[in-house]
Amino acid sequence: MPLALRRRSALLIAPLLATPLLAPPGLARAQGIEPAEAPRRAERWRDLKQAILGNRPTLPAGAALELTAPARAQDAALVPIAIALSAEAAPAVRAIYLTVDENPLPLAAVFRAGRPGALRALTARIRVDAYTNLHAVAETSDGRLLETTRFVKAAGGCSAPIAGDLEAARQRMGRMRMTLPEGPPAPGRAVPVQVAVSHPNTSGLQIDQLTRLSIPAEYVRALRITYAGAELLRIESEISIAENPTFGFTLDGEPGGELRVVALDNRDRRFEGHWTLGAAG
Amino acid sequence: MAARRPARLTRRQGLRLGLALPLVAARPAAPVVEVADGVFVLPGVDEEASAENLDAIANTGFILGAEAVAVVDPGGSLAHGQRLRAAVAAVTRRPIRHLILTHAHPDHVMGAAAFAECGAEVIGHARLPLALAQRGPYDLRMLERAMGAAAVGSGALAPTRLVQDRLSLDLGGREVLLQAHPPAHTDQDLTVLDAATRSLWTGDLLFIDRIPALEGSLLGWLAVLERLRAMPAARAVPGHGPPAAVWLEAAEALTRYLVALRDGTRAALRAGIGIAEAPGRVAVAESRAWRLAEAYHGRNVTAAYRELEWE
Repeated sequence: MPLALRRRSALLIAPLLATPLLAPPGLARAQGIEPAEAPRRAERWRDLKQAILGNRPTLPAGAALELTAPARAQDAALVPIAIALSAEAAPAVRAIYLTVDENPLPLAAVFRAGRPGALRALTARIRVDAYTNLHAVAETSDGRLLETTRFVKAAGGCSAPIAGDLEAARQRMGRMRMTLPEGPPAPGRAVPVQVAVSHPNTSGLQIDQLTRLSIPAEYVRALRITYAGAELLRIESEISIAENPTFGFTLDGEPGGELRVVALDNRDRRFEGHWTLGAAG
Repeated sequence: MAARRPARLTRRQGLRLGLALPLVAARPAAPVVEVADGVFVLPGVDEEASAENLDAIANTGFILGAEAVAVVDPGGSLAHGQRLRAAVAAVTRRPIRHLILTHAHPDHVMGAAAFAECGAEVIGHARLPLALAQRGPYDLRMLERAMGAAAVGSGALAPTRLVQDRLSLDLGGREVLLQAHPPAHTDQDLTVLDAATRSLWTGDLLFIDRIPALEGSLLGWLAVLERLRAMPAARAVPGHGPPAAVWLEAAEALTRYLVALRDGTRAALRAGIGIAEAPGRVAVAESRAWRLAEAYHGRNVTAAYRELEWE
């Protein structure tokens, strides 16, 4: 199945790059003084929404959609976030968009459900370049858009160096980890699953310590996750996703199936991991 | 791209930011302490930067030779640097020839502006210029946020001499040995050993009382501490803590904390605890012995997790 979404992503981003709102990235404009910044942030979100979702109206999500993030990040280059849908809303949601509004490329990820309820509880790790609103927008199968927001204090995450040695990270590229902290799934018992791809996921905004030139952007742009042969979800991701892209979701159903992750990066490298989720014990 | 020259908040920028220029009344400063013959330390306070403490939160000081003075870390703000410079002037008329920056953190370098016209060479780790360029503008803005008008004029100086591995300075019959280290507290840590008194200035490779901040490499820091144990030193001047402490004992609490962080993080990874939950679950008891743990322990766990996740 084709995972190529690059052209579409580029189309989403191109008009954003053309707007003067997007000042040069980095630390220089990291600090906004709140609440004087509120009108500018609201305008930015209107522009982003227009670029990502077109003219379709959005509604406040209320209790249907919850976005969790630390008020102040421990590490701007790796900010854990969680997105949860209410039990009532989850079956009808077919996609969730995540933005980091002040980042150079604000659209961080799009999650697409392969089956109803697949997006009920998601986690990701993002880069935050400046104090910013995050937005999550849930798209329902009947075309409604439900939005929610969260403000995060962090700065410099897009240009921060990767952890450790880039060469070692490149050699590790494509290794995958899968974590089942509560054990394998069971019928009617959804369990959290976390998958991670070792990949430097360079943003294009980091600087090589030796040459002092910027490191080209190399990042995971798509993941497809299946269980027992059926698609669970697809994720389109951008440079606002932190190094070693790590995503969480929930899974229920019979144990013993094979969980399979296929990841593609922007250089068209393909990485694959699979695990048999054995019965508990 | 960040400018190559370290940023500095000018008077004009201060005015543009709407900062009132008269300084907030700062708390009276602790006096300089001569911890060994010719080794002077201006002790910092275990607090976060504020207008009241002038960001004088790190230990700074100088070594006095027969011909020249070497300043180690000029302090956290222009005012702190000025205070240190006055402390030098109160002790000697000999020239300040060397300004040594142990790493790029603002509480250690922002006072360099006070030494801009004294003609000293500015010495740092080979990776220091890049670190100053990358973080300088942000650090300055954060300093301005913490100190208000009192931050005006603060800033680092661009290094004029870099240390790849080792460098020996002669202050006039007094040898000072500089050693550049692989990533530990930061990726640009430099230690300074005064051979005459066997005093080891550790920069922030040693914290006492104030909780350490991990930015470079947890495993690297433990390895560098091992390496420092082999240095011919009798006392350490820590980056934070008392002006001097008995070496090697001084490193015991820090080593215990770092080991707890390493082992606790590995255990959390094995148990499938996520990076969002780990700060509340890893080495929490060990962190309570340290001042300002609430501000830094979570960050340290996050950094450890990030480093160890793919080992």
